[in-house]
Amino acid sequence: MNAWGWIFMLISLVLVWGTTIWAYLKLLGAPPEDSSDQS
Amino acid sequence: MSTQKKTIEWGTRVGVILAVSGSAVGLGNFLRFPGQAAAHGGGAFMIPYVCALLLLALPIGWAEWAMARHGGTKGFHNGAAILGVCGKGKIARYFGVLAILIPMVVYMYYVYIEAWCLRYSWEYLTGGVQLTGSIEEQVTEAARFFGDATGTSTNGVLNMSAVFWLIVVTLNIVLVYRGLKGGIEKFCQWALPAMALLAVIVLVRVLTLGTPDPTHPNQNVLNGLGYLWNPDFSKLSDFETWLAAAGQIFFSLSVGFGVILNYASYLKKKDDVALSGMTASATNELFEVGFGGLITITAAFVFLGASGIVGTSTFGLGFQTLPVVFHQMGVAGPWIGFAWFFLLFLAAITSSISMLQPAKTFFEEALGMSHGKAIALTSVICGLGSLWVIWFSKNTMALDTMDFWVGTFCIFVLATVQIICFGWVWGAEKGMRELDQGALIRIPRIFLFIMKWIAPIYLLVVLGGFCYSQLPGKLRAMATNPIELWTMVIILASVLLLVVVLAIGERRWRAAGLDVDGRTS
Repeated sequence: MNAWGWIFMLISLVLVWGTTIWAYLKLLGAPPEDSSDQS
Repeated sequence: MSTQKKTIEWGTRVGVILAVSGSAVGLGNFLRFPGQAAAHGGGAFMIPYVCALLLLALPIGWAEWAMARHGGTKGFHNGAAILGVCGKGKIARYFGVLAILIPMVVYMYYVYIEAWCLRYSWEYLTGGVQLTGSIEEQVTEAARFFGDATGTSTNGVLNMSAVFWLIVVTLNIVLVYRGLKGGIEKFCQWALPAMALLAVIVLVRVLTLGTPDPTHPNQNVLNGLGYLWNPDFSKLSDFETWLAAAGQIFFSLSVGFGVILNYASYLKKKDDVALSGMTASATNELFEVGFGGLITITAAFVFLGASGIVGTSTFGLGFQTLPVVFHQMGVAGPWIGFAWFFLLFLAAITSSISMLQPAKTFFEEALGMSHGKAIALTSVICGLGSLWVIWFSKNTMALDTMDFWVGTFCIFVLATVQIICFGWVWGAEKGMRELDQGALIRIPRIFLFIMKWIAPIYLLVVLGGFCYSQLPGKLRAMATNPIELWTMVIILASVLLLVVVLAIGERRWRAAGLDVDGRTS
């Protein structure tokens, strides 16, 4: 694998792992859902 | 419908995200993505891919989440009625029939492939996959096994895979019958983590393969990764690459598919849709790029080299090439084979259960049917269509026809209708306010511009390019092939049925005083 291959692969992996972990942490840290509100 | 509204809902915030992610993560993540990337510039493919993700999939996905939740507050949970509300009238509503048709018809062939995955995992568990001789002989044997196991060698055969099909169909019906919270959500809550675990096991084994054959020192893991990731920048000037990237993003994320319109309609008015939509997309990308992008091609390259991959279809790679690869792994091979195909099975079933739900809800709401009767009707229609696919299975002719016209073409059309409804009829500003309601993140305002201008134009260009490059050939082929022609008749008959049901439903909804045309905010 050449240097460009490494760059593209690592950036892609950091982006998908980073975004997913960030999103779930944000969700888990959010205030609990309001169960009284119905649609 | 007001009674249903009170009783049908998601259990938890994470539950709905896992269900949407489960719907999105499917065979395309593990088989289609690596094949598309390798064929269209390797690492350079990620540039149009990320553009399509940010400018098409994410904004259209958000639009779907917002329109669905809004439609839900009006008492609708079926895509046709929801688009009628947000598109303010008949035209959008009748185009919305696609939001029922697409998952229903895709289910007809998807569940067949799902049965292959279950059959393969069973065969690995019981030692049924036996390959002998040289690599070339094993490849031939794996291809023969595939033909026999799936019935794709000839038409009119209901072989052992039909038994697995029956198991899979029953499982799908039971899960949907148990409802959103008790069936789909509960199943996805363990299936998604199980998929991640199986993917990690297979990935670790693949990345630790090293150079298994000293006589072929170039066939190692690093070169396997390089085969997929080394960029070919010249491909970026090719329109086909941009088209392929947009197509991959669409099929992979279930955008324009009709499922999100149904799932998100059960959210409450103050539930978050902004972070939820993004999390579901991120989860899908993790499976696609983080796992799919590292496993399939790398494993095939290490044992078979570039010549073993070139010209192989993505399905061929998954079902015919990888069994040869697993055979080279020695004692661990059958276990890795089982893990791989069970992973594919879980990915497929979390998608297929989501495909039954839109039609079931549509029949419930339009015809006033009970939950059980709506599932029975949906299952009969889908089952008959699926039997057609199984019967005319030679070279997957019926399957490919449905996949092209419904699983590809109709998805582009529905996505275009949706983003135009969101950006221009409902109003992008109003839509953005809806997205902000209950949001756990603030969506950057640039997306207002993207949703109104960039996404529709981008999509129209993609749709135009797709029609120009694909449709003439497909129409010519259909005119000379009776199976393709009759498959198209089945698709059109399904459209007609759904249009009639919608007309009946519209009358009922108006009589019940529902805001069918979205006249009030």
